[in-house]
Amino acid sequence: MTLFSQILQYAISGMTSGSIYAVLGICWSVVYLITKVLNFTTGEFVMLGGMLTWGFHGAGLGLLPASLLAVAATIAIAVVMERTAIRSVRQPSEMVYMMLTIALASILKGIILLKWGSETRKIEPMFGNAPIQVLGATLTPQVIVVITFLIIVTAGLSWFLNVTLFGKALRASAVNPTGAKLMGIDISRFRLFCFGLAGGLGALTGIVTAPITFTGYEIGMLNGLKGLVAAIVGGWTIIGTVLAALSLGLLEGFCAGFISASLKDVFSLLVMVVFLVLSTYRLRFRRKVL
Amino acid sequence: MRGPIFPEGWLEVIDISRHFGGIMALNRVSFQLEQSSISSLIGPNGAGKTTLINVISGLYPADQGRIRFQGENIAGMAAHSIAARGIGRTFQLEELFGSLTVLENVMVGCHVRSRSGMVSCGLALPSARREEEQEREAALANLQLIGLEHKAGDPIASLPLGERKLVGVARALSMKPRLLMLDEPVGGLAAHEISKLVNLICRLRSEGLTIFIVEHNMPFVMSLSEKVLVLDGGALIAEGLPEEIRRNEAVIKAYLGEEVAVA
Amino acid sequence: MKPATRFPLPFLVFALAVFLLPLIVSGSYVVGVMCFVALYGALALGKGVLLEQAGIFSLAHPTWFGLGAYVTGIAAVKGLPPLMAILLAAGFVALIAFALGAPLLRLKGYYLACATFSLMLIIEIVIANLGSLTGGHDGLMGIPPLSIGGLALEGDRPFYFLSWGLCLGTYWFLNNLMQSRMGRAIISFNDSETASRCLGINVAAYKLRLFIITAILASLAGSLFCFWIRYIMPALFGFPLLVELITMIIIGGGKTLYGPLLGSLVVMWLREGIHTYLGKVLPVMTAEVDALFFGIIIVVILILMPGGLAGWLERLRPAGRGARARTNLS
Repeated sequence: MTLFSQILQYAISGMTSGSIYAVLGICWSVVYLITKVLNFTTGEFVMLGGMLTWGFHGAGLGLLPASLLAVAATIAIAVVMERTAIRSVRQPSEMVYMMLTIALASILKGIILLKWGSETRKIEPMFGNAPIQVLGATLTPQVIVVITFLIIVTAGLSWFLNVTLFGKALRASAVNPTGAKLMGIDISRFRLFCFGLAGGLGALTGIVTAPITFTGYEIGMLNGLKGLVAAIVGGWTIIGTVLAALSLGLLEGFCAGFISASLKDVFSLLVMVVFLVLSTYRLRFRRKVL
Repeated sequence: MRGPIFPEGWLEVIDISRHFGGIMALNRVSFQLEQSSISSLIGPNGAGKTTLINVISGLYPADQGRIRFQGENIAGMAAHSIAARGIGRTFQLEELFGSLTVLENVMVGCHVRSRSGMVSCGLALPSARREEEQEREAALANLQLIGLEHKAGDPIASLPLGERKLVGVARALSMKPRLLMLDEPVGGLAAHEISKLVNLICRLRSEGLTIFIVEHNMPFVMSLSEKVLVLDGGALIAEGLPEEIRRNEAVIKAYLGEEVAVA
Repeated sequence: MKPATRFPLPFLVFALAVFLLPLIVSGSYVVGVMCFVALYGALALGKGVLLEQAGIFSLAHPTWFGLGAYVTGIAAVKGLPPLMAILLAAGFVALIAFALGAPLLRLKGYYLACATFSLMLIIEIVIANLGSLTGGHDGLMGIPPLSIGGLALEGDRPFYFLSWGLCLGTYWFLNNLMQSRMGRAIISFNDSETASRCLGINVAAYKLRLFIITAILASLAGSLFCFWIRYIMPALFGFPLLVELITMIIIGGGKTLYGPLLGSLVVMWLREGIHTYLGKVLPVMTAEVDALFFGIIIVVILILMPGGLAGWLERLRPAGRGARARTNLS
């Protein structure tokens, strides 16, 4: 394989992971900006999407109905979590939400582990497995699905937040919750919506990427953390998060290819730590709304 | 207004400027304080009075200018170093430590005068225990000064506003500062509490302390101060004896400006 | 207000009970579990001080514990005398805590938590990948026993006393610290960093010192753990341990110093209960399943009883003095 096609190959796998981090980063941002909750179950939504689909499919449902059911179930779980646990916290602070959602993530992981064991699972690709050759590198149709998915989510969400009335109201209440309430906007409905949205998007991400990256009870944590890195580096904006996530994925892909596959996670995590520390040396650390 | 700079001055603020965003919060402010004096800083809301105190105590740096305290340039130093050099202050919003009792709050003021480190405290070495006793006695004495020693073990939250402000003063006094800056010390106080504070300030001054008061309460300021400085829009517009300031046209305009312009 | 006593009565009673326990209870099962209680309790005490008293949201404690264990283990395997291995580990951890602490502690609140969480994962992965030195994923084996002056200390009993010595010593040290001017300084910068800076407290330096001290204490616990179990793996020092420590602090209540130790007692025995009674029922019984139950407990306690057990105990005491429960047992 020539160097160029090697680079392209790593770039392709990097973009695939980057897409996961991008959608996850968006899920983190949406929830955090509206509800101020650092939701550590974000990564688990991806896990649930993939694992539930595999489980339902194995129980006899076709692939498409299994996927839809998985998405619905994940949204339901996200909404129930918000309604019961997260709303009931008496002294809400970022740290309490953090510990609470870490605990909830442990619970979700444990349940899946108990139900379906610890092996990684595979879902069949939706459009077959025929490899496509591009300039010396191979990609499968599923990769195209993933990237298309990312584009649709990014464009769709941007349109929704900037053009529709509901979306604008959502952004307004992120900036000024009191003002929004005074205008008659029901904040708690928005919180529900954001959690449900994060659950749905996360689950869909899990489903479209499971044929490539497989799925298992413990894939949630690292992916979720990298999504958080993307959101922080991207300044909690949609475009920033997507760019940060794709860059992270690309660099990770090159690191895995040229240096060492097992250290690629170290690389991404280091990026987070270094970025966080360096940002304290800047005079400003802006946080923009979506 | 820029006054002449005396090389022997005790606290010299020279050409201090500071902006926030697009606003000049302090605009080339210069003045001096003499040792063992009581001076006040007055001015309309938003004039930059608290900003000036924050810059002098080192919470954030000025953009330009120098501050010399007892001959040493302290502008740009860390707040804790400035405190260690003998500048103490109180806060407009008290900033008391809600998790500690009244006595413990005042004892934190003694911290800067003790030396025991984490290891000696953790191992309960005799030197650490001795310093602990000394701190306790000193803090209790300061509580007696403000007449609150009977509330030593009470939580801060149980004290009314006036007493909390006095605890803030006692806490700053425990540092044994040479310069004490009070940021709006009498806001919200009852009359008898104000006279208590006045007596305390006079007593401290006679013991050699230099006091710099930021306040809105005119009778309080005029009765106590030997010198009054007036800040408006970040700039020093007047400086002098209380009677002079009372009659100063620029000062009157600064305080009543909007009404005069409208009429 | 009476001055703090150095050896408050409940502490002495507890210490006495701890030291009498092996004489009363036969067999090594209870003693073994109580060793875990002591070692993890020592960790939880330090983490509790960092988290609750100082407001430093560092999630790196499992890392210091793990590094302490690994450095001790590797040094001992390579032939270094045990006491030197322990000191070497403590020194190494102190150095790393110093180097990383200075930049990291500039971060506030949850940013620090994210950064230290990442650090924990990074070091776990690095240890797992340095196979030749650390034994990789499968762990480090063949660690020689702790021998002092020719006398080899093996088995649960000697380590019971060593672990509890460390745990109670940690408690004594931290109690003295929090009762002293340093403790007041720490609490003060947690309440109002602005005011404490203007009172002469070098907040950044104190945070770093406390960070290093608790890291060293964690490293010592790790060294003891290493010589007791004599077989360590990277998986022991990662996310599941973090969840356990957080559970201990939340169950026990972080506002008092002894809360996390109480939490350790509860959590370790709960874990035994889960393994014994549910181990037959459930298909899998790993640390992740433990984490599931601990997760449930955390959720329940955060919602229903945010003060934890110690918070509840403190409210039973007459005339709860101070806005905050006292940090000693006097």
